[in-house]
Amino acid sequence: MLGFILRRILVIAPTLFVVVTATFFLMRLAPGTPFQTGRKLPPVIEKNVMRKFGMDRPLVEQYASYLEGVAHGDFGPSLKYQDKTVAQLIGEGFPKSLALGLTALTLATALGVGAGVMAALAQNRPPDYLVTSLAVAGLCVPTFVTAPLLILVFASTLGWLPSGGWGEVQNLVLPITVLALPQTAVIARLTRGGMIEALKSNFVRTARAKGLSSKAIVLRHALPAAVLPLVSYLGPACAGLITGSLVVEQIFNIPGLGRYFVVSALQRDYTVVMGVVILYSTLIMALNLVADVLYAALDPRVVLE
Amino acid sequence: MGRISTLSRAVAVGVCAGILAVTAGCHKAGGRAPCPSGKLCFEATNDADPATLDPPRTSLTIEANVLSDLLIGLTDRDAAGRLSPGMAQSWSASSDGIVWTFKLRKALWSDGVPVTADDFVYTFRRLEDPKTASDYAYLFYLIKGAEAVNSGRAPLDSLGVRALDPHTVQITLTHPAPYFPEMLTHNVVLPVPRHVVERYGDSWVQPGRFVANGPYLLKSWTLGDRIVLEKNPLFYEAQKVCFDRISYYPAPDPVSAERRFKAGDFDLDIDFLARRARYLRRPDQIPKAVHTPPELADTYMTFNTHFAPFSDQRVRVALSMSTDRDFITKALTAAGEKPTYGFVPAGTANYDAMKAPVWASWPFPRRLAEARKLLSAAGYGPTHPLRFELKYPNGIDPAVAAAMQADWRSIGVFASLVAEEPQIFYQDLPVRDFQAAIAIWVADYDDALTFLNLLQSGTGGQNYGDYNNPEYDALLAQADHEPDAGKRAAILERAEALAMASANIVPLFGRVSRDLVDPRITGWVDNITAFHPKRYLCRSDAAARRAAG
Amino acid sequence: MTTAPEPGRMDTSNAIKGRSLLDDARRRLAQNRAASVAAAILVLLVFIALIGPFLVPFGYDQVNKSDVLSAPFTHGHLLGADDLGRDLLARTLVGLRVSIAVGVVASLVALLIGVAYGAVAGYVGGRVDELMMRLVDVLYALPFIFFVIVLMVTFGRNLILLFLAIGAVEWLTMARIVRGQTLSLKRKEFIEAARAAGLSTPAILLRHIAPNLVGPVIVYVTLTIPTVILAESFLSFLGLGVQEPLTSLGTLVSEGANQMELAPWTLVVPAVAMAVLLSAFNFLGDGLRDAIDPKDR
Repeated sequence: MLGFILRRILVIAPTLFVVVTATFFLMRLAPGTPFQTGRKLPPVIEKNVMRKFGMDRPLVEQYASYLEGVAHGDFGPSLKYQDKTVAQLIGEGFPKSLALGLTALTLATALGVGAGVMAALAQNRPPDYLVTSLAVAGLCVPTFVTAPLLILVFASTLGWLPSGGWGEVQNLVLPITVLALPQTAVIARLTRGGMIEALKSNFVRTARAKGLSSKAIVLRHALPAAVLPLVSYLGPACAGLITGSLVVEQIFNIPGLGRYFVVSALQRDYTVVMGVVILYSTLIMALNLVADVLYAALDPRVVLE
Repeated sequence: MGRISTLSRAVAVGVCAGILAVTAGCHKAGGRAPCPSGKLCFEATNDADPATLDPPRTSLTIEANVLSDLLIGLTDRDAAGRLSPGMAQSWSASSDGIVWTFKLRKALWSDGVPVTADDFVYTFRRLEDPKTASDYAYLFYLIKGAEAVNSGRAPLDSLGVRALDPHTVQITLTHPAPYFPEMLTHNVVLPVPRHVVERYGDSWVQPGRFVANGPYLLKSWTLGDRIVLEKNPLFYEAQKVCFDRISYYPAPDPVSAERRFKAGDFDLDIDFLARRARYLRRPDQIPKAVHTPPELADTYMTFNTHFAPFSDQRVRVALSMSTDRDFITKALTAAGEKPTYGFVPAGTANYDAMKAPVWASWPFPRRLAEARKLLSAAGYGPTHPLRFELKYPNGIDPAVAAAMQADWRSIGVFASLVAEEPQIFYQDLPVRDFQAAIAIWVADYDDALTFLNLLQSGTGGQNYGDYNNPEYDALLAQADHEPDAGKRAAILERAEALAMASANIVPLFGRVSRDLVDPRITGWVDNITAFHPKRYLCRSDAAARRAAG
Repeated sequence: MTTAPEPGRMDTSNAIKGRSLLDDARRRLAQNRAASVAAAILVLLVFIALIGPFLVPFGYDQVNKSDVLSAPFTHGHLLGADDLGRDLLARTLVGLRVSIAVGVVASLVALLIGVAYGAVAGYVGGRVDELMMRLVDVLYALPFIFFVIVLMVTFGRNLILLFLAIGAVEWLTMARIVRGQTLSLKRKEFIEAARAAGLSTPAILLRHIAPNLVGPVIVYVTLTIPTVILAESFLSFLGLGVQEPLTSLGTLVSEGANQMELAPWTLVVPAVAMAVLLSAFNFLGDGLRDAIDPKDR
């Protein structure tokens, strides 16, 4: 186990290197520069601007200089928000997305597992149909529809909750709900599937034959097995959620990290793009590792190679 | 079975507890930031976060909005957008119009250091310094030596801006420009405190270091969240300033911002989505809050005259005729825009907007028929249809392009639509990588020249229609040397008429500002320069609000 | 009861008919009510998407200036009109067509790349497998949306390129699944037999491995299509979707969301269409999964 973990950790650095290189050159491939917003700059001005940001050097030189900076922990200034550094941007935005995402995921897991277990135990009877239908429905409407709908109902019409902003707990209720809905749906389906399979398996039959109570069977034997596919799913899902959702953050005015994934690519803010890609890749790899370790811990049959 | 009901009971209890916890601290659900008691606060939206608050490096209204509360330039505008004294109490030009002298008032920076003419000399030099890499340095190339300095060919001190004494600034131009004081309201030439910038360099703008000469100070700036400004007690008119605190919230999603405005979270929401105007003006909505005065900007169509069909003026005029501007402005955008046939917007200072051509008042079917005739005279008809690509940037409503496409199809012209990101769009146009395009031009200052300059043959890249008429150029040069405003306007109007007849560019409709202003805010005057610094605003219920806190 | 067999011929009249795996699967699928209904709905949707626009009296890009934002059942528009007076029913049908096309084609692109890649990696194994999967890990670590944006921005907002861009991102999971399946298939006896018989690797891959992948792959494709359609709708929300006047369900929905209060039908109609379409794919996919390998849930 320890060997496995160490080997995976060692792989992170080279993978990151490849990711950074690929992203760097990919971004430069895309047409456009960060510096044109409403009008083309006259050539003299353009020269001045490119020189100021070191973008008049050959690409390989810029790449080397960027790597050197990163090695010293300097991710550079944002090319768009010139008074802020990439580290500042991420440092200010990430904690907010993290709080939102983690809460949403926890809520979704609690509700989803509960609903999935309930559906599996009542397979092909009304409660199952209800849960499955709701789950599918939750997956079929995009968040940029559910968000304004919820705002319209709970904020504009009923006035129970604020329609956006960041500050108090009430501001977080709607965004967390919007984030949690599709996740609850997926988790419920995964749990239901895993539970159904677990209930049919040999070791559950053995437990039943031994005369254990239903409750014990479900909780102690079937559930850990049922949750396995969920664990593999949660790794990347967690990474995606805690790095923020553009839709939710834009519609609810949340100053998180999510919008930078999209906006900095659209604005060609190269340094910010590199920063968020590095963050995301590291998170994905770390969380996948955690998921795999958890999976092995839960399922003694699995051998980590 | 007992298992399930315990589970569902647990979930239910959890959810209820959550709701209770959340609504426990429940005053009527407010997303509005709390205001310290005894103070008056103003919450406003901005399109996005400013790229920077360092004047020479700014370029958009996003930055101008915030800077107008922090810094005052040589000249200023009053609440109605009219030119008024700023840091310069008075100014005059020499008889040949080349040398301008500005007398400064006694004023202090927020750290107590006096504002002097040296600060302005430093500001202009910094603007033209190639190391600053200002996007807008070219706007002030009319200052003697500016272009040479900005290209790196001359030293900074060769710039034609001098301090005659601590309270007198002298600026020498390359040609007369009666609109020069107008230009000085631009955010790019707002003064920077020399003593602070020399000490901290570009990072002088960080909260805590930022020193201002305007009504407010920079308290904090959290990207994506808000910018907070607080009253500057050393501002020369501090006693007239009503609001103690201003907050700007970047609001990239205009519909969400509008909803929050309705909920009372904001006092001002700028740039709401144009097609929502119709809904917001309904009597059961917020009609009194909707402000859509015209602005100094146009949406226009431009043709690449190197593309064979568009080298023929008849084709260009035909396409202009068969664009239903009335439908687009009344039914589609419906925010109050008006069709326009002249490039200089109505309401520009010292100018009479161009009148609509005769065919503008014909019923639309007649215009379509006439367009068809023009096209067939140019060789395009059912056997040889006109096909081209219409490009437009992602800021323009796609429905506008779709409406134009549909009208053209009815006369046998097949246009395909290509929406592009602004980055790419404004890169394609100058190299003429387009056939026809819809673009927007926003004035840099309140004078006809900021529009008409585009069409000079020497403009280069940005003269998208490649309009090249020596007579036009001569008229503009003549206008530059005409000191009388009325005569100058007449010359420029003649020039405009020439250019519009040629239809290399075809104006479509004028643009309007779109702001939602809480009706309890006083001092807001709709104006064409869209200038609304918060120092002129107050609330009708100010006393009550302060007491309530 | 038997009849006397004719000399030289086998009597097969009462022989017990064998059931192939496919028959089994088909039977189980038919028994799953939800999946059957979903399949029927899908067929219906594809049908009306293909034929519908010809039956509606208005063109999807036909601007009717006097019908701007008409409510359903007014001015001859069954489901109302949008802000250019274009018939909403016609536009929704075209949007349906485009969304289905994007979903199916992008998923097929993902399928082709993913199956080929995963099968090769799983079968060849060893170093090659490790390297290939390492590459997949690297690509997985890139944020999907950023990748798609760069592709869209570099190559334009062409419909074909949209398929390719989304497909080029979705193949990763398919590759992983296929690799896993191939690994377990590799050890089965019939593969050993084929190898012993001297079949070349490509032949084994094509004739023995691939057919056995059909099951899980079909299931996965059916479940990928909704994800792809949602991804396309997200791109529309960002302003990177299909070009006007062509439309997709995602574009219609994001435009409708901005006009919700003024003209709710512009949101409700495409949103319902999208929900029905995606739900149908989901239920069908679930049913297929249950039918093809009921134990393997």
